Amino acid sequence: MKTLRLITFLVALLVLNSNEFYPQKLTGLQIMEKVYDRPEGNDMTSNLTMTLKNDSGDERVRKIKQFTRDFGTMEKKIMFFISPADVKNTSFMNWSYSRQGQDDDQWIYLPALKKTKRISSESKSDYFMGSDFTYDDLGDRQPNEDSHKLLKEEKYNSDDCYVIESKPEQLDYMYSRTVSWVAKDKWIVLKKEFYDEDGDLLKTLTVKKFENISGILVVTHTEMKNVQKNHQTIMDLKNVNINSGIEDSKFTERIMTRGL
Amino acid sequence: MNKILIGLLKYPYWIFGITLVITIVFLSQMAQNSRMETNLDEYMPQEHPAFVYSNQAENWFNIKDGIIVAVRNEKNIYNEETLSIIKKLTKTFQKMPQVEKDDVTSLYTADNIIGTEDGMDVKSFYSSIPASQEELDDLRKKVKANKMVYGRLVSEDETVSMIIAAINDDVFTQEFYEEILSIARETETENVSIYVAGRPIVEGTMALLGPADMKKMVPIVLLVITIVLYLTLRSIRSTILTLLVVLLSTIWAFGLMALVSIPIYAVSTMIPVMLIAIGVADGIHLFSHLQLFRWKNPEVVLKDAVSDMLKKMWKPVVMTSVTTAVGFISLLTSQVYPIKYFGLFTAFGVLSAMLFSLVILPAGIMIFKLPAAKQRKAEKNDINSGFSIAEKILKYKSISILITVIIIAVSIAGIGKVWINSSFLDKFEKDSDIVLTDAFINQHFGGTSTLNLILDSKEPGVFKKPEVLRLVNRMQTEVVAANPQVGNSFSLTDYVNRMNKVMHADSAEYDNIPGNQELIAQYILLYEMSGDPENLWKVVDYNYQKLNVNFQLKSDNSKTINSAINKVETFKDDFQKLGIDMNYAGSGYTGLVFTDLILEGQIMSLVLSLFIVIMLLGLMFKNIWIGLIGSIPISITAIISFGIMGWSGIPLNTTTALLSSIAIGIGIDFAVHFIEQYKLYSTRGDKLLTAEKTISHTGRAILFNAVVVIAGFLVLLFSVFPPNRELGALVSANMFISFAGTLTIMLIMLNKSNIFFKNKKDN
Repeated sequence: MKTLRLITFLVALLVLNSNEFYPQKLTGLQIMEKVYDRPEGNDMTSNLTMTLKNDSGDERVRKIKQFTRDFGTMEKKIMFFISPADVKNTSFMNWSYSRQGQDDDQWIYLPALKKTKRISSESKSDYFMGSDFTYDDLGDRQPNEDSHKLLKEEKYNSDDCYVIESKPEQLDYMYSRTVSWVAKDKWIVLKKEFYDEDGDLLKTLTVKKFENISGILVVTHTEMKNVQKNHQTIMDLKNVNINSGIEDSKFTERIMTRGL
Repeated sequence: MNKILIGLLKYPYWIFGITLVITIVFLSQMAQNSRMETNLDEYMPQEHPAFVYSNQAENWFNIKDGIIVAVRNEKNIYNEETLSIIKKLTKTFQKMPQVEKDDVTSLYTADNIIGTEDGMDVKSFYSSIPASQEELDDLRKKVKANKMVYGRLVSEDETVSMIIAAINDDVFTQEFYEEILSIARETETENVSIYVAGRPIVEGTMALLGPADMKKMVPIVLLVITIVLYLTLRSIRSTILTLLVVLLSTIWAFGLMALVSIPIYAVSTMIPVMLIAIGVADGIHLFSHLQLFRWKNPEVVLKDAVSDMLKKMWKPVVMTSVTTAVGFISLLTSQVYPIKYFGLFTAFGVLSAMLFSLVILPAGIMIFKLPAAKQRKAEKNDINSGFSIAEKILKYKSISILITVIIIAVSIAGIGKVWINSSFLDKFEKDSDIVLTDAFINQHFGGTSTLNLILDSKEPGVFKKPEVLRLVNRMQTEVVAANPQVGNSFSLTDYVNRMNKVMHADSAEYDNIPGNQELIAQYILLYEMSGDPENLWKVVDYNYQKLNVNFQLKSDNSKTINSAINKVETFKDDFQKLGIDMNYAGSGYTGLVFTDLILEGQIMSLVLSLFIVIMLLGLMFKNIWIGLIGSIPISITAIISFGIMGWSGIPLNTTTALLSSIAIGIGIDFAVHFIEQYKLYSTRGDKLLTAEKTISHTGRAILFNAVVVIAGFLVLLFSVFPPNRELGALVSANMFISFAGTLTIMLIMLNKSNIFFKNKKDN
């Protein structure tokens, strides 16, 4: 699961439009399972604009075209850089496996070198491409990896939310705990706080926008702010297509070298 | 004026009472408001362009000074014990509240960019401690193959590894240093020794050691001055009163400082030094006069004797104090605020001392009913010897002039050798732990001091261009090659070189900057994807239009920094052609600029105050020639004192530069008292007799003054802190030169000029 599953992550925030009736109050775990257990669509195409802002107010903008497909036991993703100009057509492919303990396979194609190289990411706690998202933040974290507690119910913006505190079962996880605001009727995490090993607030994720695309709500605008470093990442999705039937052959080294 | 002063003699208790009340107010202000300024940034003129730029650059690249901890194992570091210690210390520092986690660099945290068969990897060198010999050998190989670490974090002989914990300027305290030292001591084992160095340690220790040493030495200085003062005045009460003047003026100066909420800066600790050296003069002259008067007129009652003292002496006391104060006020021209305050409050102290000398001292004499000291036989001889001295000086005046000219010439030659030094490390004993540790680390690594060169372009993306990075690379290589004191250098180029190499199967011929901007950009992207991009922002900014090039220097002294800068500057034109500006940043550089500013201000103020003194003296004695003659002691003291520094290798730094102010203060005192007395005696119209009488009257007081202060300050020669020793030596030397200059060359000039005698004839 050491993966950069940006899309999985976004899809993980989808709404489950359930009519089921729950007579008893939901537990924290049940709520997080509902968030997790949602149809995510088989594949997705989108244009990602990633904006990084540092504490001096400087900005870097990267535009990426990306394709993702879920193969059940693994997920494949391919990304092509559109800008900045000097990295145009640089492509990145990632295969992540749902089997515990299996490392991701990652490739990068550098057009200037005309070579595809394998790279490896050592840990889930690495930050993705210099952003404020770790590989783990972008992936699907299984609900049973944490113990969950329903803290309270409150309104966040205009949505009624469950506020869930999650603490990792494993000891050396990078966060000591996270707190999520889950929209009641949509099963979508609208806000999430990440606390570091010392228990101090490290980052805050806020969902600024979600859209109904092909009947599924897709989070299209998120901001992650590292409050300790005063660094911020904004992810904006455009031209989102779901279940358009991306071929398996799209995810190969040969496609990587072809560019857009 | 003297009528008021004499009138005040009727109310000695009132005067004491009022002074006491004001002093208590000042003391309570000091208790509430006084605070020592420990943040070195507060000393810097923040609006000065060099500091503005450096501050910005420190922000852009997170430039901080690092505490350097060296872990040494004489065999080598590749064993379980040493590697665990490196890991443990790294983690300990990361958890300290004064240190940010990302600011700790060691072999444990370092990224290893390596080439693999089918690509590139960024890995840590080790996370769990390698157990088998194979793993240890593998780690050793990895380190040796990576120039970004080998020679930087691990010494080339493999026996020492560095941990650097960068900290902000304001977090260093004695407790923090003690904590680090105790961590180091506790971690040490039979095989592994640990050394602590780095600029924060040196700076912090100096800031603590200097004043602490002064605290120890000042009471001894005061004790010696008290004893010598007693031996010369031979009256406990006179001694106490003279010291009271110094004490009260110091309290008033610091009290006013507290009242207007100005913190005590490091240079402010020099204020008592100045006030001791200058403040005892008035007392000595007054008591000396009183004593001589009562010996000559044993039948006169105390009050009349004091009245005579005030009548004859108030003018020179006021004149000397005002001119001295003006001399210090001229320090307001300095761009450095602590120096401005130093000048201002010392001037206030000097004027307070004047007030106390003219008011408290006589009041004290009245209260204590000061008995007339018995005149010893020897002292009658003193007067005679004063006569013969004057005679001899005037007889052999050509010899005096010749010797003076020779000494001045030699001194001027020495001034050329005076060198400015902003080094902190050079202020410590050569065999002190701090210097030895520093030398040890410099011997094994690039250097403990850092110079940051900031390259700045208007155009984003410039520092991805091959021609630009190649020029930077060439400059780095040439600067390191040209100067043995520059140990190594580090910048974005080192990342690009390394990545180009590993992406070409570790082939040495690709250990350079590729000639294609896209490739450079893609390497960097690749690094960002697999490594810790935070590290990149220490050498380049977000938009690749600013670059930080680090040079590690083996010394923090000005010679080393300047010679590195001079070599860097030879590339200025090349960078200019590419639209890139050069600037510098970091504490080593700002320290250098700061020292230059202080010296510039000091020399300006020296020239300015010399000019003011000449004008003031000219005005006071209504003759510009007197102004010129009166400036002789100041001028020769300043020249010879700088000459001594040049020849003895004492560098100009913030402390020694301030001493030229003492030359002015003391020089004026001696000159004014002497000229005033000379003028009084000249009414009788006999040139030789005037000289003789002045020598035995004022000359005696000047001698006492010089002996007292010299004896006191010679105590500082036993200080453990070299700058305080230099201070003691130079104050004593200044005192002696002023004394000798006044009694010889100035007397000769007075004698030759015939000024006071011409006037008589005109009349």
